Amino acid sequence: MAEILAPAQPSFVQEKILLGMRPREYVRNLVTPFNVAAAAILAVGLPLLVLRFWKGLGATTHLSQSTPWGIWIGFDMMTGIVLAAGGFTIGAAVQIFGLKRYHAIERPAILTAFLGYVMAVCGLLADLGRPWNIIQALFHYGTASVLFEVAWCVMCYSTVLALEFTLPFLEWLGWDRWVVPLRKALIALTVLSVVFSTMHQSALGSLFLIMPTRLHPLWYSSTIYVLFFVSAVIAGICMVIVESSLSHRIFGDKSGGHHVDVDELTLGLGKAGAMVTFAYFFLKLQGVVDGHAWHHLATGWGAWFGVEVLGFVLLPCLLFAYGARERKVRAVRIGAVLGVLGIVLNRLNVSVIALNWQSTNRYVPSWMEVVISLTLVTIGLLLFRWIVNRMPILQASEAAEGSRP
Amino acid sequence: MSYDLLSVYPAKLLEYGLAIGYLVLFVFFWKYVQGGKLAAARAAVRSSVLRHAGGWFHLPAGVHLHPGHTWARVEADGLVTVGMDDLATKLVGPIAIQVPAVGAPVQQGEAALSVTDGARAVSLMAPVDGTVVAVNSAAKTHEDPYGAGWLFRVRAPRLTANLRQLLSGSAALRLLEDASERLAQRMNPELGAVLQDGGVPISGIAQNLAGDGWDALAREFFLS
Repeated sequence: MAEILAPAQPSFVQEKILLGMRPREYVRNLVTPFNVAAAAILAVGLPLLVLRFWKGLGATTHLSQSTPWGIWIGFDMMTGIVLAAGGFTIGAAVQIFGLKRYHAIERPAILTAFLGYVMAVCGLLADLGRPWNIIQALFHYGTASVLFEVAWCVMCYSTVLALEFTLPFLEWLGWDRWVVPLRKALIALTVLSVVFSTMHQSALGSLFLIMPTRLHPLWYSSTIYVLFFVSAVIAGICMVIVESSLSHRIFGDKSGGHHVDVDELTLGLGKAGAMVTFAYFFLKLQGVVDGHAWHHLATGWGAWFGVEVLGFVLLPCLLFAYGARERKVRAVRIGAVLGVLGIVLNRLNVSVIALNWQSTNRYVPSWMEVVISLTLVTIGLLLFRWIVNRMPILQASEAAEGSRP
Repeated sequence: MSYDLLSVYPAKLLEYGLAIGYLVLFVFFWKYVQGGKLAAARAAVRSSVLRHAGGWFHLPAGVHLHPGHTWARVEADGLVTVGMDDLATKLVGPIAIQVPAVGAPVQQGEAALSVTDGARAVSLMAPVDGTVVAVNSAAKTHEDPYGAGWLFRVRAPRLTANLRQLLSGSAALRLLEDASERLAQRMNPELGAVLQDGGVPISGIAQNLAGDGWDALAREFFLS
């Protein structure tokens, strides 16, 4: 009996993982300058990460009893968390305040937030002397500790972000039966994400309330938790502008034919950014006045504070205002890049540079700390690209919004 | 950190001064960012500039397009003006148009007007919900489809929700460009999209392309 051979259907792995290519073809496509650089970083960084857990913090870092916080806290944890604020900022704008035109950039923002948190937790685990003890926060309720609040907020918000990310993941797998209820739950998840991230961002600031003498007076404020929250909103807006501009340029072919006017969204975000940075600038000044710290402005620390506040808060604010008014998208984008750098600088200043400012023993990170940080950022970027290339992130399904007439 | 008793007063003075200064400056800052009259004037100039989509069909800024090729524009008095877009006008050519009567209700996505040629009629959808309050008595397919060629005005109670379902700006241009490409494919199916020789389609494309079957072609584009 003659058999009729049907054309070979691509397997699940070939279709979903290898983007429809054969394994050899896929591997050949992986050879790009970015991937080569990433592979080089991982080749050095991953063994160093193993070394850190094998030999301990002393063998890999310049941390000490007097300086227990290094760049894994200042950069990976503090900065990773604040740059992930785009998830709740845009989520709240779309799901709670009804600004549906930002729906197209909601999923990339949530993905960035999710990966930011995952990488921040990895950085935290590397930084903890005995990371296996982190689970104790689940069983011992030290409610008087700010770290207790931080730990619970990280756990809860990471869970909410994972659930929010499940939606494109299930759509990718084609499990429609679970997609519909999850889509309905999205508004509840957004409310939870706003609650947890508000608490978390401000709680990270509250950590510094117990160290008024260790943190330089120009950065210390009795309302530092407010500064942390407001700057998180700025970071969220700036990151979404930068990330959406880059994503739609790099992954433009992944938009599934849905046209997104990124320039128009950027101008809208620029207007919001102008208002928030304007308020933040005055809150920073108020912090200086409130702490009676103005006489420090004439010192070297004051000059450094001026660089942060004038160069990376006021300047982005003016660029946002000018760009939004004159419809200059480029000005808004430059403002957003400066804004991101400014928030990174602020977190590093607060948690590393201006901490222990009177100590003669200055902390300088070891090369291994820097490489491990770089490794975590590289893993985050690779994961982002891997997911965007496969899952419906940029082509945020029209069905989610109800089909157009 | 050094505190001295007397510095409390200048500190408080500075704090309150800063807070008041911030609030005052915020008013001016807000006005600057919003753009005020200058931005409104520029927006008006921008809206008067016709933008071309794929070289064939044009679209002024400030117009919201329905995918069925009708348009809506929010006027200063809050009413919404409705008409057929440039593609629809050029597709059907000079033809009789039936518009709803004053007082008639229209619903977004439902048939609201029709173009007729003898026994054949094709409906077009309303871009917004509402009640018709004025009709252009000289309604006919016009050379100025977004200006003098308006068809009727609507009082639209669900305008915000309706506008979310319409296309504006570059998304609207994209709709017209896609339609241009589909028409180009029909004109030259073997070649597909090619560089045009500089000409633009004449009025009455459907008649020229499909002859008596013009209404079927029009329905395909008007989604009716």
